[in-house]
Amino acid sequence: MCSTGSISESRGIAAGRADAHRRSSILGLPVNTVELNKIRKSYDEFVAVDDLSLVIRPGEVYGLLGPNGAGKTSTLRMMIGITVPDSGMVSMFGEPLRRAHTQRLGYLPEERGLYKKMKVLDQLVFLGELKGLSGHDAARRAGQWCERLGLKEWTGKKVEELSKGMQQKAQFIGAVVHDPQFVVMDEPFSGLDPASAMVLKDAFLELKNAGKTLLFSTHRMDTAERLCDSICLINHGRAVLEGDLGKIRAGYGKRNVQIKYEGDARFLDDPKLVQSFNDYGNYVEVRLAAGADPQDLLRAATSSARLSKFELMEPSLEEIFIEAVGKANA
Amino acid sequence: MPSTSLGNIWLIIKREYLERVRQRSFIVLTVLLPAIVGGAFFIPAKLSRMKSSKTQHLVVVTSDQKFGEIVRQQLLSSAKTDDEKAGADKSKENSGDKDSDDDNKSSNNYTIDVDSTPSDGERAALQDRVSSGAIDGYLWLSDDAVAARKITYEGQASSGFMEKSWLSGQLDRAILLRELAQRGVSGDQAEVLLKPVKLEVVQLKGGHETKANDKGMFFAILIMVMLLYMAVIFYGVSVMRAVLEEKNSRVMEVLLSSATSTELMAGKLIGVGAVGLTQIGIWITMASVYALPALAASASAGEIHIAPLTLVAFALFFLLGYLLYSSVYAAVGAVITSEQEGQQLQFIILLPLILAVFMMGPVMRAPDSTVAMWTSMVPFFSPILMYVRIAIQPPPAWQIALSLLLLVATIAGILVLCARIYRIGILMYGKRPTLPEIMKWLKYANR
Repeated sequence: MCSTGSISESRGIAAGRADAHRRSSILGLPVNTVELNKIRKSYDEFVAVDDLSLVIRPGEVYGLLGPNGAGKTSTLRMMIGITVPDSGMVSMFGEPLRRAHTQRLGYLPEERGLYKKMKVLDQLVFLGELKGLSGHDAARRAGQWCERLGLKEWTGKKVEELSKGMQQKAQFIGAVVHDPQFVVMDEPFSGLDPASAMVLKDAFLELKNAGKTLLFSTHRMDTAERLCDSICLINHGRAVLEGDLGKIRAGYGKRNVQIKYEGDARFLDDPKLVQSFNDYGNYVEVRLAAGADPQDLLRAATSSARLSKFELMEPSLEEIFIEAVGKANA
Repeated sequence: MPSTSLGNIWLIIKREYLERVRQRSFIVLTVLLPAIVGGAFFIPAKLSRMKSSKTQHLVVVTSDQKFGEIVRQQLLSSAKTDDEKAGADKSKENSGDKDSDDDNKSSNNYTIDVDSTPSDGERAALQDRVSSGAIDGYLWLSDDAVAARKITYEGQASSGFMEKSWLSGQLDRAILLRELAQRGVSGDQAEVLLKPVKLEVVQLKGGHETKANDKGMFFAILIMVMLLYMAVIFYGVSVMRAVLEEKNSRVMEVLLSSATSTELMAGKLIGVGAVGLTQIGIWITMASVYALPALAASASAGEIHIAPLTLVAFALFFLLGYLLYSSVYAAVGAVITSEQEGQQLQFIILLPLILAVFMMGPVMRAPDSTVAMWTSMVPFFSPILMYVRIAIQPPPAWQIALSLLLLVATIAGILVLCARIYRIGILMYGKRPTLPEIMKWLKYANR
């Protein structure tokens, strides 16, 4: 059965990938952007991050997922050197994290981190200069980004005069103005209207196409599902699942069936076929019982109801998460 | 990540400075405060001049016509010289014809009549004239009153303090002059006898004779204490607020992904500090432009003389003292979560400064004492106490050097501690840390 979700295994994956990285760097292949090796962080009694390991490969979009309070922000902070782990190792671009690395990464914090009274362009230039750009270059690039994201008319305004969506865009520009290799974003879509979220998502993809590595944290599984190449699911500071999203889903198999029907629904009550189901009104989503053959379910359903849809599906990330967490807690 | 980048500190200083100096509130305060202070000095001075320019009409009542004349002359001549002192610029032409003026019945400020019929009826009549406003007041110098040295002045307005002491001083002198005249001492001889003493103190400094300059020294010390106090109260709080603001808005998190907490703290401290210095600099320039003629006059007259060493000490100890107290404010800003909490702590921060002001007295009296020496070494006191010692009587160079060294080391130490509290403090918002927690943070950040 699928047991990928256990903690020991997820660590195993990361460790294995780290080994692979060492081999690949000898072979002259690109080095991993980030490796976390059993990092741990506790605040007083509270363990925020507990022996977490993960690997982020260059050029991928990586999602750090988990419910609120799972330790996502703590992990990000350690990754970019704002805090130091109590134990464990953080490597960036194939070396232990150093000050110089911060010049090559951009960070977008969860809450707005801009000077309210400062003008947008001045602020972006300041952030760019701190990352080692000349004042002139910083102004030029910030101007280009503002134009690209529709902030051009606002560059002379104070940050506090901007709407929340605008501020988030400005914050995003602050994170990428120095053209970093690696962009870290903490809940970049939280509180954004759909239009702004779309603009930001497009900017994401643009960066990805330019070969940058992107990491973002979210508690929204659907967002992650659409954007990420790899993920790390964390809960209570521990990695529950880590790795390539496609492989993780494949590992869970097609154990879900979406059925649209008219008539008698008694086939749903057979415990040998159906483990659980969720009625969404228009259709019902069925989780197959362990060892059940979907063909048997199809036969049972047609015998009592008229079907307009019967589709075998990969489980959603949300389901995988709930299952993995359930196993980890068991 | 231990290395400190001067480039980052410079960027942070620059941002902090420019953003603050450009703020409207800065410009308004810079212009408004001198206007208010100037007003506070200027308007009362103007008012008192208006009052004194009105001619006061007094009546001197005495049975002795000659004595009445002495009193009148005494009051007129004294009022005249006082007036010259007040208005130094217009005195030139007036002083030339001072003597002829004295014979005149009216001086600038006073018209004085002598009434030689002290009787009850006359007194009632004078009281009527006072209440009707015909005269401003009268002096009752009956023989009994003079003999008992108990003289009554009755006037429209109850006499101010200055006027009262002035009046009694002049009367003392007039009575003395009369007594002397009665004993056969002529007017000129009497003047010689009554000439007041002018004491000149000469101080021996390293074998050199220098005129002791109490006035200059007093000014140098007063200005230092006032400026330091003002700077710490005004700008220390803005350092605290700047740290707090950054913590609350979480700009910090972005900045910490580029710079270290030590760089941030140093940049903030120096940036906000420089804003304060700019403002004070502007005010001092404005004040000295306004007061330059008077200053130059008194400096050339040798009244105010400040040693170059005192000036250097002034600049050094002011800057360092300001930095020291600001760094404490920054540390408080790193610990607290709201400005209200900061206000409670404000008094504790200022306490050493207040203590230092209290200790000034003993140190000034005995600048070479052991107590003075040790207290002027304590970093929180030295900006005032060591400076006071230097201004009064420069202590050995090693003492000055040691005190400066301790001061600088303390500032650096507070800055580093502060940066640690800051770094950890900002990432754990919500509640004010307890002292044990802070100690733990410091230890933690050591690793």
